[in-house]
Amino acid sequence: MVHTLLQMDTFHSENQQPRQAVVTDAVLVTALGGDIDTLWRRLMQKGTAIGPISRFPVDQEHYTAGIAAIIDDLKPSRDHSLIKSLLDRLMVQMGPVPSDATLITATLKAGIDNLEAVCRGNPSGFQDIPLSSLAEHISPQIGLKSNGLCISASCASSTIAVAQGAALIESGQAEAVLVCCAEIVSEYAFAGFSSLKALAPAPCQPFDRGRRGLSLGEGAAALLLMPAARAGREGRDRLGTICGWGITNDAAHITAPAKGGHGLAQAIDKALKSAEKKPEEITAICAHGTGTIYNDRMELDAFKHILGPRKRPIFSVKGAIGHTLGAAGGIEIILGLKALATLTIPPTIGFTHPEKGAEGQVSAETQAIANGCLLTTNSGFGGVNAAIILGP
Amino acid sequence: MESIKTEITGIGWVTAAGMGRARTHRDFAMPLERMPEFRPENVFKEPFPNLRRMDDYSRLGVTATALALADAGLDTWTCKRNIGIVGTTVYGCLGADVDYYNTVIPNRGAQASPALFSYTSANSYLGEAAIRFGLTGTNYMVFEQHPTGLAGLHAALGHIARQDDDKILGGVCEAGCPRIFGQPDNVPPGAVFFMLEPVGSNPLPGFGILESLSMDKLLFNGSPVDNLVMLVEQCLSVMRR
Repeated sequence: MVHTLLQMDTFHSENQQPRQAVVTDAVLVTALGGDIDTLWRRLMQKGTAIGPISRFPVDQEHYTAGIAAIIDDLKPSRDHSLIKSLLDRLMVQMGPVPSDATLITATLKAGIDNLEAVCRGNPSGFQDIPLSSLAEHISPQIGLKSNGLCISASCASSTIAVAQGAALIESGQAEAVLVCCAEIVSEYAFAGFSSLKALAPAPCQPFDRGRRGLSLGEGAAALLLMPAARAGREGRDRLGTICGWGITNDAAHITAPAKGGHGLAQAIDKALKSAEKKPEEITAICAHGTGTIYNDRMELDAFKHILGPRKRPIFSVKGAIGHTLGAAGGIEIILGLKALATLTIPPTIGFTHPEKGAEGQVSAETQAIANGCLLTTNSGFGGVNAAIILGP
Repeated sequence: MESIKTEITGIGWVTAAGMGRARTHRDFAMPLERMPEFRPENVFKEPFPNLRRMDDYSRLGVTATALALADAGLDTWTCKRNIGIVGTTVYGCLGADVDYYNTVIPNRGAQASPALFSYTSANSYLGEAAIRFGLTGTNYMVFEQHPTGLAGLHAALGHIARQDDDKILGGVCEAGCPRIFGQPDNVPPGAVFFMLEPVGSNPLPGFGILESLSMDKLLFNGSPVDNLVMLVEQCLSVMRR
């Protein structure tokens, strides 16, 4: 479990607003590691889980790539989707969740493999296809009173879910929030990104001059949030703080990021204001860093525009675990908390020749970071951007 | 928690009973019937070529948001605005999912349609509305387990209270469940959006005050709101007085 692995403090109330949302437990599953400890170690060892796909046929004549970061031994049970097996792996790691917790799930496509099967004429369970199915699976499993809801905003889904969870806590509408996100690699998404010419033929290379697109990945994450005061009262671990957040739309293009990154810049600006932080307090960035030409360029522009010219360590994990779409934000927030706890960020796998503006910020090596706050960002289809500022 | 209050300043809808907006149409219904053909082109003053390539779900959502903005006098703009949109749905873009995947199956992905794939995110239509009307605020979809259509409104109220957005559209967008899944028709098709603003910020007379007392309790002018249809009817009854 994460709370045995992060360098955690017990709760300290100094300088902490009583209703500020703190993360008291967090777990994840990715193709590079089935838990945070394994994933972090393998990230530091410059590992990658991106490899040949065997889950579905990949005809190299038809697709622009044949690779993804897939959890090899993930199998569906009966007529259920792989998403259920993935959630089971996730939730078995989770510590006790208060029964009064509000559940917020996040996904882009939920049990899309079952939709594929139905479209191919193979009888398959419908229950895992609607996006609300994540909540229906998790809520009774851990005895939550609330029905829960699911947030979907393409690749920013789980970032927004965490932001909404923190907002519910700050406003007093919830005393605890469990955020769960999950996504699987499917032929459905693979063919779609291939049709958009967005897939890299080799493992993706975030912020590299020679980057040629993204690599898909699968994974899941869960984070338990509660007010700082309650966490302290109950003697819970504190993995970090959700200090502030911002959500915007580019209002520019339906699938491509806005040139210049003005939408993301606005989201970061909102997050800074919401967190009452200054740009110089951001000591590191966990970028979306998909490895597509336009996303990475846009992000570097947005960071410079809002945070100024000062260089700061930036990393992307998508060269190691692939792009986990709706689950990306949740996984990256957990890794951001780990980075703050260890004052270290992992190498950006696939990065060798810096894109203009990435020099001295993105690295193929582990980087030390100063005490402070970490910014994590995600953007996606529909022009959506989300930024969260994490604190210790 | 303190209650959160906003003013409803516009309502737009497209349902199986027709399309309209609250200041010009006094009758509203959201029947559980098959959605007839509708012509969203008439709603948009300028040409909107993307409408033709959108799936039904997106066309419903974009049209209802356009009508709600028009009802609030906010459909024309010169500079992009910090206006958000939060929608609620049960089935989202499942129809687009099926249509798109049916282009993947033949020839093992060689004919996968990038145009259809673009609308397989449930929030894609929010992006279309954002582009069309210069809306740069908060933007996402909420999937409900038990359809009341109110989850998006609850979330939207929170964004106004936090001053994340200057104004926000909250509502529902539903194109139903594709027949291929053999599910019963239990959710009325259509889209309804409400323009929510801080009280007194729009020069047009508002419909009333929407208030959130908790995550599952909404009041309109002090009366409880159980579902979205009820809320539209309550607003229209204010206009009829």
